[in-house]
Amino acid sequence: MLNRTQPPLIREIDFLQLPPVEIFTLDNGIPVYVVNMGTQEVLKLELIFFAGRPFEQKQLVARATAAMLKEGTRSYDSAAVAEIFDFYGSSFRTPFNTDTANVELHSLNKYFEQVLPVVAEILAEPSFPQKELDTFIRVNQQNLQVDLTKNDTVAYRMVTELIFGPEHPYGYNSYPETYGALLREDLVQHYERCFTAGNCKIVLSGKIDSQILSALNQYIGQAIRPGAALTAQPQRQPSTTRRMHIHHPDTVQKAIRLGRDMCNRFHPDYPGMYMVNTILGGYFSSRLMENIREDKGYTYNIYSTLDTMCFDSSFHIGTEVNNEFANQTLDEVYREMELLRREPVDAEEMAMVRNYVMGGFLTMLDGPFNVSEVVKTIVTEGLPMDYIETLTRALQAITPDDIMELSQKYLNPDDYWEVIVGEMKD
Amino acid sequence: MIQYNRFELSNGLRVLVHEDNSTPMAAVNVLYNIGSRDESPTRTGFAHLFEHLMFGGSAHIPDFDDPIQLAGGENNAFTNSDMTNFYDVLPAQNLEIAFWLESDRMLSLNFDPKVLATQQKVVVEEFKETCLNQPYGDAWHHLSDLAYHVHPYRWPTIGLEPRHIEEATLDEVQDFYFKYYRPNNAILVVSGNVKTREVRALAEKWFGDIPPGVVPARQLQPEPPQDALHRRISEANVPLDAFYLAFHMPGRSDKDYYAADLLSDVLSHGQSSRLFRRLLKEKQLFSSVDCYVSGSLDPGLFIIEGKPNPGVSIETAKNAIWEELEMLKTQPIPDAELQKLQNKVESTLAFSETSVLNKAINLAFFELLGDANLINEEAQLYRDVTPADIQRLAQQILAEANCSELIYLKKNDPAPIAEPTLVQESTVS
Repeated sequence: MLNRTQPPLIREIDFLQLPPVEIFTLDNGIPVYVVNMGTQEVLKLELIFFAGRPFEQKQLVARATAAMLKEGTRSYDSAAVAEIFDFYGSSFRTPFNTDTANVELHSLNKYFEQVLPVVAEILAEPSFPQKELDTFIRVNQQNLQVDLTKNDTVAYRMVTELIFGPEHPYGYNSYPETYGALLREDLVQHYERCFTAGNCKIVLSGKIDSQILSALNQYIGQAIRPGAALTAQPQRQPSTTRRMHIHHPDTVQKAIRLGRDMCNRFHPDYPGMYMVNTILGGYFSSRLMENIREDKGYTYNIYSTLDTMCFDSSFHIGTEVNNEFANQTLDEVYREMELLRREPVDAEEMAMVRNYVMGGFLTMLDGPFNVSEVVKTIVTEGLPMDYIETLTRALQAITPDDIMELSQKYLNPDDYWEVIVGEMKD
Repeated sequence: MIQYNRFELSNGLRVLVHEDNSTPMAAVNVLYNIGSRDESPTRTGFAHLFEHLMFGGSAHIPDFDDPIQLAGGENNAFTNSDMTNFYDVLPAQNLEIAFWLESDRMLSLNFDPKVLATQQKVVVEEFKETCLNQPYGDAWHHLSDLAYHVHPYRWPTIGLEPRHIEEATLDEVQDFYFKYYRPNNAILVVSGNVKTREVRALAEKWFGDIPPGVVPARQLQPEPPQDALHRRISEANVPLDAFYLAFHMPGRSDKDYYAADLLSDVLSHGQSSRLFRRLLKEKQLFSSVDCYVSGSLDPGLFIIEGKPNPGVSIETAKNAIWEELEMLKTQPIPDAELQKLQNKVESTLAFSETSVLNKAINLAFFELLGDANLINEEAQLYRDVTPADIQRLAQQILAEANCSELIYLKKNDPAPIAEPTLVQESTVS
């Protein structure tokens, strides 16, 4: 008779390693990190320019420049660019990143050489047509109006502004006027300063052969002008206002955000804080989920997150809760923080979190496109190539005492900014 | 090409295995053939509430999530109008943990009243977060109600109203469970770094002794053809006026589904698509415009939605959409445009096959449709579509009498939502 109360034996993952990454240099000096894996005849090309918010000279210019690259070049207009990528079934995107401007192409291998020349021209000779910029501004102003009716969005905007300051690249917020102030010259100037070979790195993943690499060199190795790597040193200007309530009438849930500044990936506290974050609110069985969702039913979701960036980092707790229970939820969040400061995590919970985290890293290293995301983080933040090995070894060595010590250092309510958005009548 | 092996246990559980030794992971997917279309009209939202209860502990295991996480895995689930689907992704070396957990919750739940009471609250908060506290969050409620009068697609999966969820009782939960959550109403798919031999042995060991049930035959009233335009105007707390046009279209296993899906791609797949290019970029009529299909098993909906620019009336914007639809009815699309859509489909399918979880979910879905091998035939079915098929489907679907129209108008004196006001601040020294 099968004994269903007895779980099958669990085998732990004790060691993880990044699959081999080959580094290849283009004629113009751009390093290409090649992740050659996978079973499908597809690839992803991602160019990373250090051209995000820390490098802009006027607010929103970084985002606008990246978004507008595909809106016209010397020989193609916006419609022709879209038509070519769509025709070959590829996807060309310029996703918004805080620190970098990324250019991302997904393509079937068989059509790579058809679309690559267009990518090269987009990077070498974008024309930034005024008419397309007007459309960009108008569409974004409209979308912003929709976003600003969402309590959660308003709370996130406010808490990052409080932590970093309203002028800081990680703290400032967009308004219709910020979009309205964008000029074509701003974009051209940002492009000329930031989109150079010295300021660019490339991650290429999928089934990669020498023909693909030589095509890449032929086009991208020539297209991008030389130029210097840029650096930035943004200074945080935190607010002295610690708590803020924003009234949004007639809404049926309140959005809560707590946040503070946090150490980045180079800091010796980072691996321990990775564990603290996971225990507090980083996975389904976290303390916050177990207490506030699974025990009390105040919310559908509550989480904490480490937001690491190139020049600074932050830590957040966020949820949207039943209007009636916002105060109780806050009390419980602070109680969970206190518990972590006061009591060591027991062995069972430590094992679960450790194994969960290791399994997460195994997934991150599964397949070319997951690995390329890891390589992108390493390359963007300037981490060593053996970072995953070092980090996972450090994570496995974290003890309950470390967790308590770090909680005392980083989970102190006095260091947090608190924002609530919703119906404030009650 | 996705290779798979298929076998059936004596209790009727269908098992499919896809071996992929390029990954260290395994995905275990359990699909139950039960969705919101099977609910009673007074207990809408029940199938989805039930999905939550499946994580609250089973006959021999108090908690589902902890052991999966201890094994280095992740799990989740989703419910829609046609099915409830559960999945686990974990290191292949710990595959058996997923069998232990999934089989126990197929054998029996613990039916803990505290779990029901808490999950009722959680689901009501989910209802608020996704439908009530979002601008346009109730669009699907309006559209289902406008387009369907007979078929149970007339309510959305989350439920008609929170009250239906709050009133569910433990007796109803037990009854539902033993009716639908039976091995002969389920499909188990395992994909990843596994061997069929090993999966067969594990399936026999953990699922083999679960008794089959008597699953009620599904007898759903088909929605009769619509013969006149349905309209609704909702004056709501929204920042921008918006409208939705929803047309009845063929179900997922109809051969014409593929042409209808490509018809929606002509209109709005990618930045070169017609609505985006002509109406948003060239004529500057919209700040956003989109077109998609619901993809449901019974005849579903083909939906167009748009937000007109300031100064553009709903009427003008809508007319511009109708002009585009008329063009599709009167002129076949050029061959090159069709080839573009087919290339996009090929690429989307190739990229989706890079994930073990996607492959497991898709195999289960196609098995539910009646033939798992459709997973390998879809690309060809899309390639077989001709410009004449797309024109025929445009004529068939995009008719005013087949349309449900929902318009959101910004309230005259909306609450100050765009400019939240500071009501309290305190300074900590």
